[in-house]
This record gives sequence, C-alpha cells and structure tokens, in this order.
Amino acid sequence: MVSAVYGLIFLNLLRTLRAGESAYTAFVEMMRTPPILYVNLVLFALLVWHAVTWFMLIGKAQPIQFTERPLPWKAVFGVNVLLWIAVSGAVVYLIFGGF
Amino acid sequence: MAEEIGSTHESLGYNPGRETVHADPKTGEPEVFLEPLLWGLFSLGGFITAFLFPITVFLLFLAPVFGLWPSDPAAYVTFAAHWREPLVRLFFFALIGGSLFHGTHRLKFMLVDAGLRGPGIEAALDVILNAIAIVGTLGALYYAVRGWLFV
Repeated sequence: MVSAVYGLIFLNLLRTLRAGESAYTAFVEMMRTPPILYVNLVLFALLVWHAVTWFMLIGKAQPIQFTERPLPWKAVFGVNVLLWIAVSGAVVYLIFGGF
Repeated sequence: MAEEIGSTHESLGYNPGRETVHADPKTGEPEVFLEPLLWGLFSLGGFITAFLFPITVFLLFLAPVFGLWPSDPAAYVTFAAHWREPLVRLFFFALIGGSLFHGTHRLKFMLVDAGLRGPGIEAALDVILNAIAIVGTLGALYYAVRGWLFV
C-alpha cells in the first residue's frame, strides 16, 4: 500500500515538472519539510522492509530448481540482495547520472 | 511395465486415475481472465517496488536533506535534464504503474480482511482500486511520452 502512495507522489512529481520550475521546486521542498520528512522516513523504512520480505518470499513461494532439489530460500534471498545492490547502483548511474 | 499398462487399458470397469481429461473442459463456467492478470500485475509491481523504490525515494527525498549525497538529484535543473532521456521516462512509467497495481491490489485484500466482504462490496473495491491503478498508469504514460513523442 505504501508503494501506491509513492506511486501517486511520483505521478504528482511528474505533473509539477510539467507545470514548471516553481511548482516542481515547491513540491520537492514540501516533501522535505519536517512533518512530511518524518513520514517519508517511516515510509522509506516500510519500503525497505517490503523489499527484504519480498526477497525472502521468492525462494519459498516459487522454489528455484536447477538440480534435483530446489535451492534453499536463504541462498535465493542472498542472491536477490546482491542483485538489489547491483540494480540500485545501476539506477544511480543510469537514471540519476551518478554521484 | 508394458503389461501393466496394457492390462489397465483393458480393464474398463475399474480405472482409477485414468479417466479421460480434456485440455479444454466445457464446464459452462466463464473463463477466468482478469484475476490472473491482476495477480500478475501485482507480482510484477512487487518486484519493481522491491528493486527500484528504496533507492529512488532515498535519492530524491532523503539523502540530500541529511547530507548523504554530494548532489541533489531532485533539483529542477538536474531532474529536468535527466527527464529528457527515454530510459528515465520508461523508468518512472514502470515505477508508477507497477507500484499502483501492486499497492491497490494489496489494499483490496487488506480491506477484505478488515471486514469489507461480500460480492457487491468486493466488486466495488475492484472497480475503484483498479480504476486508480489504471488511470494513474495512463497518467504516467502521458507524462512519459509527452515532450518526447508529442508536444
């Protein structure tokens, strides 16, 4: 559900980007003011929790099988966490232009 | 082994587990189409949310505020410059669409678990929440292609 909230926030971000610099900057500043910033911190923690539990779920809900026995869910979780780090690095460079 | 199979074929009176199974049974019930599609979009959205959301929210709304990033990726000049790239537009379209279908589908079952049960109520929840996801995704598509495919 948190993801849908952020989906609407990002949709509004694109709307304000289209509207112009003042509208966009006002929205980003509003997202960073203390009351909403604290909400953002909580929602961010929930997003990370969602990611961790999702990766834990993959090896259990959809066992991955290359050999006679499926891979242990902990191994699948570890691979997904490494993949998560790699994808996050790719997002930093490909979407946000690096450091 | 071959004899066993042969004898089973001959014994038509008792034949457990060997009834004829049609690949396309005509049961008279309508074919289920929407349910697996919505669950598929939920699952796809779950992957998108898990892999892409934390880093995006961190960079845009948190890291610059706490001085954890050398630049501000959400600054208008920076973001508007990146927004010209098709990959960035595709990224935000997938991010918004995936998150909306994932979140609204999850919300529906949270509300059902909270007591909003019944065919009418669940149908209404389906319509309202899927409408939010579809309209939001179409909105993201509009912003993603505007200025790129048309002005």
